[in-house]
Amino acid sequence: MKIRRVSTFIKIQFKSLIRVPSSLTIILLFPVVLALTFGLLFGSIIIDETGQTVFEFLVPGLFAISALYMAMPIAYSFSEDREQGLLKRIKTTPTTALEFIGSHIISNIGMVIIQVAIIAVICYFLGYNPAGSTTNLIFAFIFMIIFSLSTIGFGLITATVAKNVKTAGGIIWIFILPQQMLASGLYPLPNEAEMISKFMPLYYATDALTNLFNGGSLGDITIWGDLIVLTIFSVVLVIAGILLFKKYGE
Amino acid sequence: MMKSESLNLPSSVKPHGTYKAIEVKNLKKVYKSKKSIEQVKAIDDVSFTINSGEVFGLLGPNGSGKTTTINILCGLIPPTEGECYVGGYNIETDLNKIKELIGVCPQQAAIYQYLNAKENIKLFGDLHLVEKEDISKRIELFLDLFGLSEASKRKAKHYSGGMIRQLNLIMALINDPPILFLDEPTIGMDPRVRRKTWKFIDSLKQKDKTIILTTHYIEEAELLCDRVAIIDYGTLITMGSPRELIEKNNCKNLEEVFLNLTGRRILEGL
Repeated sequence: MKIRRVSTFIKIQFKSLIRVPSSLTIILLFPVVLALTFGLLFGSIIIDETGQTVFEFLVPGLFAISALYMAMPIAYSFSEDREQGLLKRIKTTPTTALEFIGSHIISNIGMVIIQVAIIAVICYFLGYNPAGSTTNLIFAFIFMIIFSLSTIGFGLITATVAKNVKTAGGIIWIFILPQQMLASGLYPLPNEAEMISKFMPLYYATDALTNLFNGGSLGDITIWGDLIVLTIFSVVLVIAGILLFKKYGE
Repeated sequence: MMKSESLNLPSSVKPHGTYKAIEVKNLKKVYKSKKSIEQVKAIDDVSFTINSGEVFGLLGPNGSGKTTTINILCGLIPPTEGECYVGGYNIETDLNKIKELIGVCPQQAAIYQYLNAKENIKLFGDLHLVEKEDISKRIELFLDLFGLSEASKRKAKHYSGGMIRQLNLIMALINDPPILFLDEPTIGMDPRVRRKTWKFIDSLKQKDKTIILTTHYIEEAELLCDRVAIIDYGTLITMGSPRELIEKNNCKNLEEVFLNLTGRRILEGL
């Protein structure tokens, strides 16, 4: 694996973030709009005797959802590169699949970090103060990074199935919408729906972030359980995505 | 000394073996239909050899197997049967070494639209691990040569079709490869730019590059190629220097040879 090739692709992907309006919207504007909308609308509605507002209750879901939407630019990027013949062209160079996909994984993690930072800053200015310690916040950050791997898997699977960018834009909702509706914690749901949500990685990311932001102890088995299940989901999805894309997507 | 050793190669990998830059033996490519048991023979028992420093034209009607042949030689798709060697290396066992020796200008202009010309070219220099200093020098040289210097900082999506084709070609040259695959490199260029590109390809010949060229401009092949192979329905119909083929087929030019050998059925049907 040559670091120079990986860093070259990472630079290219960050350039696309700045120069392609759709990427800029999803990665930078989306978390801003998400945090501001929920913060301004629900920042003063108190839901329980502790004084927790609706907004504070929803913050973990906002972090997780913004990372979930990262599946979109990944699916677009791979589909577009294939549509424009770039994947084939890159394949004629000594670049390996590991270097190419590895660079996407690294840059995706970088973009999730940017999103987390944006939401964290906006939430802070809207008066949100998580109850957890610094270690809790570091753990929450680790959860976000692991969850972002699953979004790469979703993006790659979408790019494999989709014939072009337009269809990728439709197919990706199969992965995003059910998770957003059932596992983000943004909507009140019956128990049956919660059962279904346990088959989605977003559930474990949101559950862990909620625990961590509410000052849950790191000795709590629920957090570790979430970590293990989320890691399994993410690793399986990213490996499945890579294998499927390599076999059928190129 | 081996002829290819004099080339300024981008890495430690050098062509090995004889002066044969490319050797294709009994190549077959069969595509299986997903919906039926029908099989499509894209290439049927094709054999040819290209010598080092030679410009070799692959001519044929649409769908005759030209691009499939190039795709196999670049390692993009595997052959169904047969053996292929590029720079002396077997495409099935030494593909990584081959990728360090080749430059590919694909038929579809494959460039990043949101990058400018310099960034697109540099990207491929980096992928080939070309020294950064060499990349900068070559970028300036090529952009100047093709008259793209002024536009080089504009995003490629704002380029004209001809400029994109030129950029597509430059990207294949940044690693200074000894073996070049040019798949319809001048398609979509206006006659002025096309002639400039011909002159450039001809200058590459002087630098000992081995070039495999596919084109629908028969005049281009006649002008640039040392030898041409005409293929149709995946079968090699004839091969030789343009002059030899013209004389052998008693024609006025290569286009007439091409039409006589591949176009009769079409012309008769009109």
